[in-house]
Amino acid sequence: MQSSIARLPKRPFSGHASSDGDRLDRSLAVCTRGLTKLYRNPWTLKVSRGVEDLSLDVLRGEVMGFLGPNGAGKTTTLKMLVGLHKPTRGRAWLLGKPIEDPASREKLGFLPEQPYFYDYLSGPEYLELAGQLSGLGAHEARQRGRRWLGRVGLGAHPTLRLRKYSKGMLQRLGIAAALIHDPELLILDEPMSGLDPFGRRDVRELILEQRERGTTVLFSSHILPDVEILCDRVAIVLEGSLHRIATVGQLVQDSPQRIEIRCSGVPDLQAPASFAGGLARLTRPHETVFVLEEEQRLHEVLGWLLSTGADIRAVTPQRVTLEELFMATAEGATPKAEPERRSA
Amino acid sequence: MTAVLIARNTYREATRDRVLGGMTLAGIVFLLVVQALTPLALGEGRKLTVDLGLSAISVLGLLVVLLVGTSLVAKEIERRTIFSLLARPIARPMYLIGKWAGLAGAVWTIAVVLAVAQWVLLAVRGQGGGGASLLQATYLAGLELSVITALAVMFSALSTPVLSALYTLGCYCVGQWCYDLRAFAAEFPPALRGMAEILANLAPNLPLFNMRGLASDGLTTSGVHLAMATGYAALYCGCVLALAAAAFESRDFK
Repeated sequence: MQSSIARLPKRPFSGHASSDGDRLDRSLAVCTRGLTKLYRNPWTLKVSRGVEDLSLDVLRGEVMGFLGPNGAGKTTTLKMLVGLHKPTRGRAWLLGKPIEDPASREKLGFLPEQPYFYDYLSGPEYLELAGQLSGLGAHEARQRGRRWLGRVGLGAHPTLRLRKYSKGMLQRLGIAAALIHDPELLILDEPMSGLDPFGRRDVRELILEQRERGTTVLFSSHILPDVEILCDRVAIVLEGSLHRIATVGQLVQDSPQRIEIRCSGVPDLQAPASFAGGLARLTRPHETVFVLEEEQRLHEVLGWLLSTGADIRAVTPQRVTLEELFMATAEGATPKAEPERRSA
Repeated sequence: MTAVLIARNTYREATRDRVLGGMTLAGIVFLLVVQALTPLALGEGRKLTVDLGLSAISVLGLLVVLLVGTSLVAKEIERRTIFSLLARPIARPMYLIGKWAGLAGAVWTIAVVLAVAQWVLLAVRGQGGGGASLLQATYLAGLELSVITALAVMFSALSTPVLSALYTLGCYCVGQWCYDLRAFAAEFPPALRGMAEILANLAPNLPLFNMRGLASDGLTTSGVHLAMATGYAALYCGCVLALAAAAFESRDFK
């Protein structure tokens, strides 16, 4: 079967049907048009591509996952959005304001990948500074800093200097600093990296809480189960270009469905040649499992199994995980059947 | 407002750094050592104290600028602490101005502490007169250090800490001898003469801020000199920071 991913457009992809040209839709939280970042080596003058012609729309209030292998251009894109990189071409707006204008970052919370902070400050001092730089008054920034420090589980160390913080503690502090001024837009670069399972759970809960508040969240991650849980839509970036943008449900729905048939009483049963690779056989203790790649042939396979006297114990539709879809997209291939898959 | 916040944080960074405390302590120890040597000065003890004390302010201030200032922005870029700042509603020029103001505040603190220590030592020895000339000389030394700090911040924003330190030191040396450079230029062949004059004109006119000779004799300078020095320092710092901001504006942070 030809995968829908294999039919993806090869050229950059616009993530929002209503947007065209350089028109700005002010209802969008993030809007990019033809955003391009090229790097020129000053010695060899060789040009390398960071991001090319990226047009992406993120709706207000949605949580969007930004996926791609290392070097795909995710961090470059996020850095351009928050003003750390200057685009070579193209334009972008945050909450309706052009990214060249520092005011576009008034309602923005940003967490960089592997955040580092002033190691001579304590957690409350840093959060107070972060809050004030985002427009809060000194008193309010101090109060919110204390509250957020407790909220991210660092309240027990108010006087500890940041040079003594662990990587996970710095990540938590970075999240608190990104959220201290109640931003309308959160851009998080690998927010789960460096966190233990408890930390990941806490960050997931924070993101879900922000979604409940109506905050727009755009985040990149390699931890795809988290993306699957949190995101309304995912954008897949490959080699500096946007290759696909869709809801997680849409991505999964478009992928081929597989069906797992568990049966017993036929330990030596082999699939006939007529199924020609569309039916894989796995042996487990006390049962035999067949994985059917083509849903349309289910009746045919069940008929054959019943005719052999097999005791059919379960017929379970399988869906491809986001991780498999992502890997297949990155490799330009259809997802392969795995022996173990998550049930639908 | 953002520049003030960044300045305050930079000041806090500099004052929590051991360099600033160490330099201040070294300056005070130096002043005490000078007191021990004053009997050898044949009645010129006051002159020796003021002259060496003011020199200590300039040299130790310069050391702080070289050790802290030249890595001020470069270190932030290298450690990526700048990401969390510039992703907030802060214009890049405001960031540089804040960095400069914070460090300039720190070197002014050294200058004031050492000047007060000097005045106290002189007063203890019954030579506390001439406070006005000491005040003026300290003010001019502070202006000189502010100009050097602006250069250090500019180089730090555009280069590595080591190169920034070399460039800053180079500018300081050329600035100190800019009059001599102009005089030498007259002896050079025409092509070299032009280059030397350009260099002398671009370098900060640091002798303008030097009134150690007057202060050690207990003499004051004119208000016009002070106003000219203030105006020159403000203009020079403004130009240097504007250049730095223009180059920093297009910089990418990896």
